[in-house]
Amino acid sequence: MTAFVVRRLLFACVTLFAVLTLVFVLVRIVPGDPAQLILGDQASREAIEALRQRLGLDLPIWEQYTRFLAGALRGDWGVSMVTSQPVIGEVLRVLPWTIELTVVSLILGIVLGVPAGVYAAIHRNRLTDYAVRISSLLGLSFPPFVAAIILLLVFAIALPWFPVISARSGSFTAWYQSITLPAVSLGLISAAYVTRVTRSAMLEVLSEDYVRTARAKGVPWNAVVWRHALRNALIPIITVVGLYLGILIGNSVLTEIVFSRPGLGKLLIGALNQRDYPMLQGMMVIYTLIVVLVNLLTDLAYGFADPRVKLK
Amino acid sequence: MKKLVIAAIGAALLSAPLAFAQKKNLVVGMGSADAGKLDPHIASTTPDKGLLSWMFNGLVRLKPGSINPEFIEPDLAESWTSNPAGTEWTFKIRRGVQCHHGYGEYTADDAVYSIKRASNKATSSYSNDFNAVDKVEAPDKYTLKITLKNPVAGFLGYVANVNGGNQICKKAAEEMGENFAKKPIGTGPFMFAEYQPQQFVKLTANKQYFRGAPVLEDITYRYVPADSARDLAFQSGELDMIYGKQDQTWMDRTLKLPGVKVKAMEPGELSVLSLNITVKPLDDIRVRQAIAYAIDRKAIVVFKGADSSRVAVSVVPSGYLGTDEKAPLYPYDPVKAKALLTEAGYPNGLTIKTIHTTLTGMQTLIEAVQAQLKKVGINLDIELVEHATFHAQIRKDLSPIVHYQAARFPVADVYLTQFFDSASIVGTPTAVTNFSHCNVADADIRAARSATDPAKQKELWKAAQEKIIKAVCAIPVYEQLQLWAWKATLDLGYDLQGSLNLSPPITEKTRFTK
Repeated sequence: MTAFVVRRLLFACVTLFAVLTLVFVLVRIVPGDPAQLILGDQASREAIEALRQRLGLDLPIWEQYTRFLAGALRGDWGVSMVTSQPVIGEVLRVLPWTIELTVVSLILGIVLGVPAGVYAAIHRNRLTDYAVRISSLLGLSFPPFVAAIILLLVFAIALPWFPVISARSGSFTAWYQSITLPAVSLGLISAAYVTRVTRSAMLEVLSEDYVRTARAKGVPWNAVVWRHALRNALIPIITVVGLYLGILIGNSVLTEIVFSRPGLGKLLIGALNQRDYPMLQGMMVIYTLIVVLVNLLTDLAYGFADPRVKLK
Repeated sequence: MKKLVIAAIGAALLSAPLAFAQKKNLVVGMGSADAGKLDPHIASTTPDKGLLSWMFNGLVRLKPGSINPEFIEPDLAESWTSNPAGTEWTFKIRRGVQCHHGYGEYTADDAVYSIKRASNKATSSYSNDFNAVDKVEAPDKYTLKITLKNPVAGFLGYVANVNGGNQICKKAAEEMGENFAKKPIGTGPFMFAEYQPQQFVKLTANKQYFRGAPVLEDITYRYVPADSARDLAFQSGELDMIYGKQDQTWMDRTLKLPGVKVKAMEPGELSVLSLNITVKPLDDIRVRQAIAYAIDRKAIVVFKGADSSRVAVSVVPSGYLGTDEKAPLYPYDPVKAKALLTEAGYPNGLTIKTIHTTLTGMQTLIEAVQAQLKKVGINLDIELVEHATFHAQIRKDLSPIVHYQAARFPVADVYLTQFFDSASIVGTPTAVTNFSHCNVADADIRAARSATDPAKQKELWKAAQEKIIKAVCAIPVYEQLQLWAWKATLDLGYDLQGSLNLSPPITEKTRFTK
């Protein structure tokens, strides 16, 4: 397994390199001058040229690229053009907020989605099944920002239980108050995904011979469902959860904006608007790393869920 | 028993003032995702300028709540004099003013440093404003002398509490260098305390403020980019003051909330269509005139909202020193527009391109203009691009018609120089924002700049505006005011008409009545 992990990480380095090169070129192809944007529209041309020089934007592109790669290899991702702070520091300051939101909403999605999916599967084509299916369909098709605004209107304005600005920290109450609404808003969507996958995976497993055998030899129905059937339905569920984790991190941007939370999404939008090249490059590394890492964890989880899966 | 009740009531009454103590913390909601560079000589956006203005002073200031440059009052300078030619200015610096966080007394040395820093293109976005400055000296600790190469129209405006005029403390700036923007040090009523990325900047009261300790204890300046979230947080009481969504529907909706004040304040940002007079078909003045006749400014203001916008009066925003408030703009006359197009050889109409930003407020305007032009047979081909791309492309002369919306220091010279002096034509080494390649009023603009007789100066500015309008270098459309709302329990401490720093000034007198 160690060999497997090492190989995957080496492969990740190649992916990173490709992504970085692509991002480096793409951000520079897009029109827009960082120096102009930093100095504003009353700045003289001389001032703009002077800043371009200081930022190294006047160098030929290949020279900028080699400098950037050399820096990256030394672990130096450069400084933000806007704030003059190291990119890594800026990213790390908001990363915990994004991770926290993603993890809590994913847990919420699993806690709600798996039982709902199992329940719908064992009550197939009954009223409750339809109810679960329709609500999960609603969850999938509802634009997340609309759900977010409705949550705010109900639970922050009509019933003043939670703050509108969900960015408190310091105590457990503060944390709980500021994570609940954003996590519910994202969690409901992931719950909808998980429900649908769990239901279809369970339906398939429930029609297997060994389920019939287990029931025939008198294993209690609950044990059949939760121990035998669900365990065998786990692989597709893990796949979806793993894939969805990446999507959640990407999707968190709208949630961050509506709930006024710090996070990677807002940092990315800001860097794009300002054409903050080093920041964009640094963030792409983080995003790529997260996706690679989540995929790796998903693969490892297969082995735990099903000992027959050999990681080579 | 009776005694006990009386004692209890007495105790309750005594503790009542505590329970109803005045609120001392002001929470402001700003419509941006994060802070930019918090350096007053660099900051150019509404969110950054608005915040910095509560921390800094100028040598002089515009009366809080006013943007009229005729009401300039002492700030860090107690008094000032100039020679008759207006080229030598002497300022007497107020004694005993303290820089924030123990950086010592603010003296003429700091003033010299500030002005030199603001004139330096490597450290300032506003270096152009100080082109005429020849020498800055401190003959003694409390005297500042500025010598100009030539007289400058409204010179005091450049040393007021706006942009490059903001005074910073030398010791702090030298010690921190690039990091100054991380902990800006000034002399204003509030001082920098804390920054949490994407969340807030916190300011605390400067108890040593020379006009007296502020009533408010601190200000939390929260970054809440979503308009809807800002509105909801204002409604729920989490925010005391908010930057509005800049349109009439927001204003109407917010006015309906109980216990709320809403203000459309100065400066109005003038929306101007610059027509590039050097490219086909706009090089034909008849085509430009046709466009001018085709635009119905009054209808646009009805569309934009009568409380939050107003009709443009000239190619310089209304209310500036030197604006011709009755400038001879082309009236709305679609019949004449069509006739001119036919005369110019376009009886079946024509298509003109514009590169335009996706910024909502500006986009709705250009779409309204597009609909009006359509009526006379002009097809305005709008190419929408994201804001940063827009700024880059219009500076490369890629858009024959440029829609720009801006406010400047309220002296006609600034607007005329940046937008209509041929030295400011985009693409040239001295480029600023002359997108039309206008060069018809250079002589008047330049003569007015160094005119010493105010009446003569106004004459020259008026002549310049007339020439620009006659040549149709640009078509002014409407002015968008700045929309803010705050709780009625917040007493700003002055009458708010406007603010050049684009946020309502928060002064030492600003307080909550409850």
